[in-house]
This record gives sequence, C-alpha cells and structure tokens, in this order.
Amino acid sequence: MAARPRPSQDEAREALRDAMARLAAGDQAALEEIYRATRVKLFGICLRILGDRKEAEDALQDVYVNLWQRADRYDPSRASPIAWLAAFARNRAIDRLRTGKVRGGAVPVEEAAPLADETPLADVLMVDAEQAAQIHKCLGALDARTQGHIRAAFFDGKTYAQLAEAADVPLGTMKSWIRRGLQRLRACLEASEAA
Amino acid sequence: MSAPENTPDDGVQRDDPMIAAEWALGLLEGEELLAARGKAVTDPDFAWRKDWWDNWFAPMTDAMPAAEPGAHVWEGIAARVTAQQGAAAAADASPDGLGVNVVALEARVRRWQWVAGLTSAAAAVALALFMFAPGRSPVEAPPAQIAAAAPMVATVPIGETGLRLDVTYIPESEKMLVAAIGLTADGVHDHELWLVPADGSDLQSLGVVAPGEVRAMTLPAAVTAKLGDGASLVLTREPIGGKPEGVDAGPVVAKGAFAPVSSAV
Repeated sequence: MAARPRPSQDEAREALRDAMARLAAGDQAALEEIYRATRVKLFGICLRILGDRKEAEDALQDVYVNLWQRADRYDPSRASPIAWLAAFARNRAIDRLRTGKVRGGAVPVEEAAPLADETPLADVLMVDAEQAAQIHKCLGALDARTQGHIRAAFFDGKTYAQLAEAADVPLGTMKSWIRRGLQRLRACLEASEAA
Repeated sequence: MSAPENTPDDGVQRDDPMIAAEWALGLLEGEELLAARGKAVTDPDFAWRKDWWDNWFAPMTDAMPAAEPGAHVWEGIAARVTAQQGAAAAADASPDGLGVNVVALEARVRRWQWVAGLTSAAAAVALALFMFAPGRSPVEAPPAQIAAAAPMVATVPIGETGLRLDVTYIPESEKMLVAAIGLTADGVHDHELWLVPADGSDLQSLGVVAPGEVRAMTLPAAVTAKLGDGASLVLTREPIGGKPEGVDAGPVVAKGAFAPVSSAV
C-alpha cells in the first residue's frame, strides 16, 4: 500500500460534519471552523463563476452569512458537507450573477490561483471520489457538443441565451440539446444509484 | 448513443425533474427562476430533486481552482453575524409599535416570500396576514375575501448583492408586509423605505426597515391613497433612526415598483 494520502482525511471530513451540526444547533464558533476549512474551495467557486475578485469576495461573505442563518437546511443523510457547501456557494454566486451587473465568465489566469503552498488544499475539499467518478462517467457518455454546453453552463454560469448565441443556433435548439442531455444524464445517474 | 442531437422540436418532456436540473445548473432566469423557487417551498418532491441534482453536480466543482480570499472577508462575515444578533436582540427587547414582530412566523413568511409572484401568492399572503393579527383573534374577513383583492407586490433588489426587500400590500386592508430577511444591520446606518406616488406628488416615508425581519405595518389613509399600480419604492441610506427632520434624504440604494399579482398567472 502506498502511504495514506492524508492521514487526517476522514477526521477532517468528520470534523466538518460535526461543525455543521453544531452550527445548525446555533453554535456560532462553528462558523469560523467551517470557514477556515472550506474558504479556499468556496472562494474558488465564486471566483470562477463571477470572474471578479471583489465580487467573489462579496459573494463569499454572503455565502457564510447565509450559511449561518440557514445551517439547519443541511441534511447529512443526503449529501456530504463539502458537496452541499460547494453547491450552496455556486448557487449563491449564480444568483449574484443573475441579479447584478457582474460580467461573469472565466477568470483570468493570474487571478485564479494565488494559493500559498502551505494552504491545506486537502482531499477533504474534494467531493466524494466515487460520486465524482460517476458524474464524470455519465457526462462522458453524452455527445461532446452537449457535454460542452452543460459544462459551460456549470463552470461559467452561462444562460441558455448565451449558449445559443455562442453556438450560433436558435434558442429553442440549444434548450432542446441541453434538455436531452439532462434527460440522459438523469437516466445514467439513476441507473448508477439502483446498481 | 453519442451522435449529436440536431432536431429542435424533439419533444423532450420538460417535467419537474428537468426543471430542477435546469435550475441546479443555473440556467433558469427571471420568472422561471422565481417559479422554481416558489415551487420548491411548496413541493417537497421538487425540492428533493433540486437537491439531488445539486449533489450530483457538486463534484464538478473539484475542477475549479481553489483560491485564497482576502483576510477582510472573514472580518466582514463576523461583523455581519454579530450585527444581526444585536439587531435581533434589540428587536426582541423593544417592540417599537410601528410594526408587529413576527419572528416566530418567519419560517411561514419565508415560505410566503418565495411564493409571492406566483398563482398562490394571494392565498399565501392572506394566510400570512391571518397568522399575525397581533394578540387578537384571527382577522374577521373570510380568507376568500382577502384573497380576492389582488395583492400588490414590490421586489426591491439591493444593488447586486442578490439580497432584496419584499413588500406586499393588500388593497383595502391598509396592511403592508415588509420582508427584509436577507438584510443585515451595519450598526452605523438604517435604511428608510419611501413611497414614490405614481402621480408625481411628494415621497412618503414608510419607515425604517428592520434588517433580518418581516414586519407588518398598518398604513395611514394618506399613504394608501397613493399606493396603486405603478407606485414605486425607494430605499435610502440614513443615519440610525431614519432621516432626521429638516435634512435631505440620504442616497438611494435600491428601487422597486408595485405591480398587482395577476390571478391569471
């Protein structure tokens, strides 16, 4: 066996789960723990979606303040804390993108990665590996074009209209492509759950 | 299986799980987005499906490069959390008579908040109003009657923060609900809400907004007379306590307009 990649991976995940439970119970100190453990991942998500450091920092503040207000919405039986937090952060960033004047789009390279070497970019920040493998497998089963559009929606926060314009096809065509893709994706993911 | 699909009208069924997927992916905008949010609070299956998609898409975020936010971000979070706790404590300690503190009903009203703008908004608002007739038995009017008067709803987005005020007024009831749930107090400013009548007459103060709360207020006749379709709202930033006498109002930080909730939606 190779050395364990991170001896504390399970412990770190467990600590995060525990902090989420304490936060839901009203323990404010838990918020700082969660922030310390997850900020680089969640900030990376906000930065990617919003494409602007200042906007992403504002979004990140909203994410954690919102988390503090609604920690009870997290259901540990449904999702790992990091998966849920990642979705939560991305949803808030998308909301901001839709309501504001933010341009959005891809982050310039020089802005994207100011991570100190010692930053604990641990495996704890990665969503469950099996789950990751499955979504990538199901996405990979789609035709390349549909896959590309779904990825652009996810990573860049593109709307149907933006995707249609970029691909130079009618809006209805784009919607139809993506919906078909999502239909197949759902069937594939459900099949994996049943297996 | 992996050939590109080219037909636009291929009859893909846009059922609820599909809409939940579009929502999770971030494709929904405007009214469709509001409708999805509203549906999620009233339809557990739909909410479950949205979470299902969120959870399946989550691993894709592993491909987004992590980045370190500035140190001031945490300070901002801590300050906002502390300010909210302070505001909540102050509101509990001294109900100010302007409105009824309905914290206990917040969950119910939050549910209303998302539903506003949808078919059932009228019914939901009527329900919310029933629930906090202050210290009295439920309002006398039968629900159907209240629901029949189409509520006027105004959404006041706060800059690009994603936060907003939701203001609902039921014509003929003189009652208005101001929901500022996402808002936080900064300890230095208050925000005052103003009615801008459609006829161009003077602005009328609707009072200082209570951050993080839903307040019901009863409006004087002078105000309700000006409150119709097309009336708009502005939110100004003021010193604590609201605009001082004899001083111009502070900067406008947000605007919104009233529109009737159509029963035909």
